[in-house]
Amino acid sequence: MSGMDTSTVVATALDKRLVDAETTRRSRPLFQAVILAGLLAGLPLVAGTYTLHAVIISMIFLLPALGLNLIVGYTGMLSLAQGAFFGIGAYASALMAMHYSTPFYINIVFAGLVAGLVALPLGVPALRLRTTSFVMCTLGFVVISQTLAKNWISLTRGDMGLSGVPKPDFGFGPMNAADTLGYYWLAIAVAGLATAAVSALVASPAGRNFIAIRDNETLAEAVGIATWRYKLIVFALSAAFAGVGGSLYAHYLTVVSPLSFSMYYSTTILIIVLGGGAGSIRGVVVGSLVFVALSEALRIAPELRMILYGLCLLALVFWFPKGLEPLLARLFGPLSTSRQ
Amino acid sequence: MWGLVAEQIVNGIVTGSVYAIVAVGMTMTFGVLRAINFAHGEYYMLGTFAAWLAIEHFDAAYPVSVLVAIVATAAIGALIGFLVMQKMIAAPFQSGVLATIGVSLILQNVVILAFGGGYKYFNGGYIEPVEIFGIGLAQQRILIVIVALFVFAGLELLVRHSWLGSSMRAVSQNIECCQVVGVDVPRVVLHTFVIGTALAALSGVITAPLNVSVYGGMGEMITLKTFAIIVIGGMGNVRGTLYAGWMLGVVESFVAGFLGLQFRDAVGFIALIAILMWRPHGLFSTQSRF
Repeated sequence: MSGMDTSTVVATALDKRLVDAETTRRSRPLFQAVILAGLLAGLPLVAGTYTLHAVIISMIFLLPALGLNLIVGYTGMLSLAQGAFFGIGAYASALMAMHYSTPFYINIVFAGLVAGLVALPLGVPALRLRTTSFVMCTLGFVVISQTLAKNWISLTRGDMGLSGVPKPDFGFGPMNAADTLGYYWLAIAVAGLATAAVSALVASPAGRNFIAIRDNETLAEAVGIATWRYKLIVFALSAAFAGVGGSLYAHYLTVVSPLSFSMYYSTTILIIVLGGGAGSIRGVVVGSLVFVALSEALRIAPELRMILYGLCLLALVFWFPKGLEPLLARLFGPLSTSRQ
Repeated sequence: MWGLVAEQIVNGIVTGSVYAIVAVGMTMTFGVLRAINFAHGEYYMLGTFAAWLAIEHFDAAYPVSVLVAIVATAAIGALIGFLVMQKMIAAPFQSGVLATIGVSLILQNVVILAFGGGYKYFNGGYIEPVEIFGIGLAQQRILIVIVALFVFAGLELLVRHSWLGSSMRAVSQNIECCQVVGVDVPRVVLHTFVIGTALAALSGVITAPLNVSVYGGMGEMITLKTFAIIVIGGMGNVRGTLYAGWMLGVVESFVAGFLGLQFRDAVGFIALIAILMWRPHGLFSTQSRF
């Protein structure tokens, strides 16, 4: 921002807010959400179990991705720790279910809470770091969580992992989530709620503050936004989303192991957010459907899948720095919506 | 008891020398590019694989395989340096992180696809034990420490007294001024990066006789430890890297010896986080560089 005086910066920021508000209103996010929900609701009529499975996995990954989107898209930092909080949520939920036989809706809330509470003390020192140091520090959380999961054998059973995590059972008719179709509805419901919550948060005054911090942290601080507190809240909140996703994952696969902390999860979540378009909720939703479907389609050849992920990352850096979002804006936005 | 402690220290210095040779390439690349390299451990893996291939399929002698490893990896490093790393000059830090994670995934999985995911047996090197000061250790371990000392003496000369070295220092201090006065920044970046990949390969191939197993995923843990070392040593600090490598090696070897092997790999990251908190410029640099 050097070379621009403060008044210009404020003016640009205000301008941008107006443009943002305008675009949001014109592109009618609610309308698009209803269309997507309709498509997903109709999918079981035409698609087989395998397709449903792919959508379930992408809905599960959508949760940590929404969280990371808050960090990357609204505070401008890059975190690899989402994979760690995803795993922590998975373990927390599985352990609750197995030791105390608590019902699913308690486990999933508990998983989110644990992940968020673990993130708070970690965020206090980590958020003082910037750019590269923050990335390495969050990577450190993943490695340390994995070491803990492998070695705290009395709790986690080490490398053997926890197997036989119960499938959720709500005990009434169609909401029994033991089969794929039931879990499909459950995953969509949870992901839908989370998406709505994040949309509401971003549109709220707090969300405006996040955007201000992303665009110019010094200026945001100068106009009285408690940047430090907001960053910490975003970090913990995003971890809570990841924890909820981990819980869904654990009860779906019924197995949790230290592999839940492998780099694969952090990388996938990163690709969803940056591939979809950081800072765009629509982009992240489409990103999770596109990239996880891609990954599930290549399940038989895991090496090919990772090579493709690698190529995706390079393509994102060199050719699509804004991910899919510009494409989506052109597809769904009215012709007049041309962003500056 | 004293014998055991001495043995841990010697083992730690050997492992630490290996870490330091890999890490110095990353720290120099960071110096000129301001980007951390998530793919750095893959060049260690590539070097080991190239040497394994030379020994297993072409019956090469171990010294020849060392040469093959360095040349092959430097060639791949030059290609990636040209296609990816040069484009990271003055790019935002996110680009560097994402692009190098991408490169890492591609290199690692291409090797697994080509040679299979199983463990391979590395058959070479000098593993006959000799006894020094009452401690028995393989000749290869002594070789590693000597190679590390030579590499770091050479790098010190390179950085202080050569044209490339002064350009490297200049670029790491002020990239824009370098462009103004006509330093060929992309070339400096490419040369630094290729030297780094070659050193990573060297490190891989001189440890291979001790580690014995060769596999596609072996670079990942090396990348992670490299992060810890460059942070402890101070990003961009060549000599600090050697001390940091030794420190991490010795502490790891004590943890493995007295607490249990399974805790060894977390040491680096606990140190990394602690150093980032309290001394973000590292233990051996006086000034923060990022």
